[in-house]
Amino acid sequence: MTLDHFALPYQGDDQFLGAALPFLTEGAERGDTVFVATNPRKRAALRAELDGAVQFLDQGVFYEHPTRIVAKVLRQWQEGKAEGRGLRILGEPHWETWGKWEVLEWQRLESLVNLVFADTDASFMCPYDLGALPLPILDAARRTHPHSAHGRFRRANPGYLEPGLFGAMCDREPLAPAPADSAAMPVFSPDMRDLRALVAGHARDLGVPGGTLHQLLVAVTEVATNALRHGTPPVVLRLWPEDGELVCEVADEGHWQPEDSAGPGHFPPNPELPGEIPRLGLWAVRMLCDIVQVRTGPAGTRIRIRTPLCA
Amino acid sequence: MTHLYTQRSVGDLRAGDHAWLAFSHPDEQSRVLGDFVYAGLDAGEKVVCVTDAAPRHLPGLLSRYGIDATPFAEAGHLAVIPWHLACAKDGYSDPALLADTLEREIAKALDQRFQRVRITADMTWAAGLPGGDQFMLACDNEVEAMIGPSTVATGICQVDRSACTPEAIDVLQHHHEVLVEVNPEYDDGVLKITRTFRPHGLKLEGEIDGARHAAFTQTLTAVSDPRSEVHLDLNNLKFIDLGALSLIGTHALRLTRGNGLVLDNPTAELQGVIDMVGFHRYPGITRGQGWGAK
Repeated sequence: MTLDHFALPYQGDDQFLGAALPFLTEGAERGDTVFVATNPRKRAALRAELDGAVQFLDQGVFYEHPTRIVAKVLRQWQEGKAEGRGLRILGEPHWETWGKWEVLEWQRLESLVNLVFADTDASFMCPYDLGALPLPILDAARRTHPHSAHGRFRRANPGYLEPGLFGAMCDREPLAPAPADSAAMPVFSPDMRDLRALVAGHARDLGVPGGTLHQLLVAVTEVATNALRHGTPPVVLRLWPEDGELVCEVADEGHWQPEDSAGPGHFPPNPELPGEIPRLGLWAVRMLCDIVQVRTGPAGTRIRIRTPLCA
Repeated sequence: MTHLYTQRSVGDLRAGDHAWLAFSHPDEQSRVLGDFVYAGLDAGEKVVCVTDAAPRHLPGLLSRYGIDATPFAEAGHLAVIPWHLACAKDGYSDPALLADTLEREIAKALDQRFQRVRITADMTWAAGLPGGDQFMLACDNEVEAMIGPSTVATGICQVDRSACTPEAIDVLQHHHEVLVEVNPEYDDGVLKITRTFRPHGLKLEGEIDGARHAAFTQTLTAVSDPRSEVHLDLNNLKFIDLGALSLIGTHALRLTRGNGLVLDNPTAELQGVIDMVGFHRYPGITRGQGWGAK
């Protein structure tokens, strides 16, 4: 059982269709579950050539959230596997619609796929438009895909990095310090009602809707509880609005060294493994929130949760 | 028509409360009545029980407190009045006589210098008789007229739920403004955990985070029972942290001796969190009532 995860650098529709059509047809003929998520124009072009065996998804729906999509696709593969079906996905994100931090998380996801799906026989084709995408995105594609397709041939990407290494690169850029006028609260006690009241007050003032707010409260409580239990005091919560987002930061002075090879909380827990103790932790925080940034070092550990504000 | 009633723990009943208990399990009856009568005896209040049980067999006293109430009856702290003495006349049961009996007992208690009077009436015997529903309703009216305006008396009317038709339960319940439930297993003003008997489990109200994990696990362990799965009623649970969910997930099978936990009536927000993190797929966790599109 081998994962097949490769980039398809292409120029123009002909090159795209020339590689995508055989990939999708082969999957459909094998009886695999086959998904396509790309822009409407390319979806229409593919749909014209393929019958109903392929499911077409809107990019906005498929690429809704990097952690949730991992859980969803992994589940899809497990369910198909139980029925003897494979999984094949052609996925082309709408890179141009994302901000800097979102792009980074989706690039990290491209890399994590190699680890999370390592023990599966899923096939993922990731097209990259050489004519339209900026260089840094094309460069990252070479680091996150072990192979690239060129016509009917596959070549190993010499620049490919192990997901742990790539993840560390994603977290290399230091976070700007919290603004001096941010709201701050020291965290002393595992009873975090006051902390939740502070977060809820700010979030409501800034227009974060109810369901999102509750998920944020669960996430902040988890991060602060972990800092209190495992970090080094003082633990401080800070809040401020930044570029259309509410930023919640929990900082402590400990140097956290997470054991996960993919970086903290990126690997989904599998509750169905016998004897496994299910842990939700930071992975669930990533599921509940939009963007979670972790920076840790000798100077301390900071975790930031960014929640988009309604326009 | 919606009927407004208050649900109150037995320990929170106050003078003038005429509360109703339709118990689903003998343990529920023992906990409510045992705690009610014991608290009265303990506080030096007069206790009047209209029941055909002997003082020694009053529910919950011997089993929960190791007390044989006979000496209290002999000393006049406790009056146990069989139904045929409480309201029978010429071979017929007359609810109006119940009011006379209670009025007499309250007056007697005040003469004995008791400050408060606790009254219990077990109506289960009437439930299965022809016209029993009407009799119970009439008795209830009499008790209400006696206790409602009182500043010294508190009462609980009780019936075994399984002895009544659902319609009768409905009518009787709508007749009361106060429904009494067992005292909570845990209540610190932030988190309240109460045993439930139909279904077997716990009702969680308030907030659970790291500060209350120990109390929560302890109570969950206490309610563990080999006979059935354990239900958690989440309707009034405003917040539960991931740590407590993990505890539930880790202990779902162990604490319930393999029967598993059923999660009922989550708020829309909590359901959102559970769905999002896939918690309902953990082994031993089942989605019960009150799930769906919210």
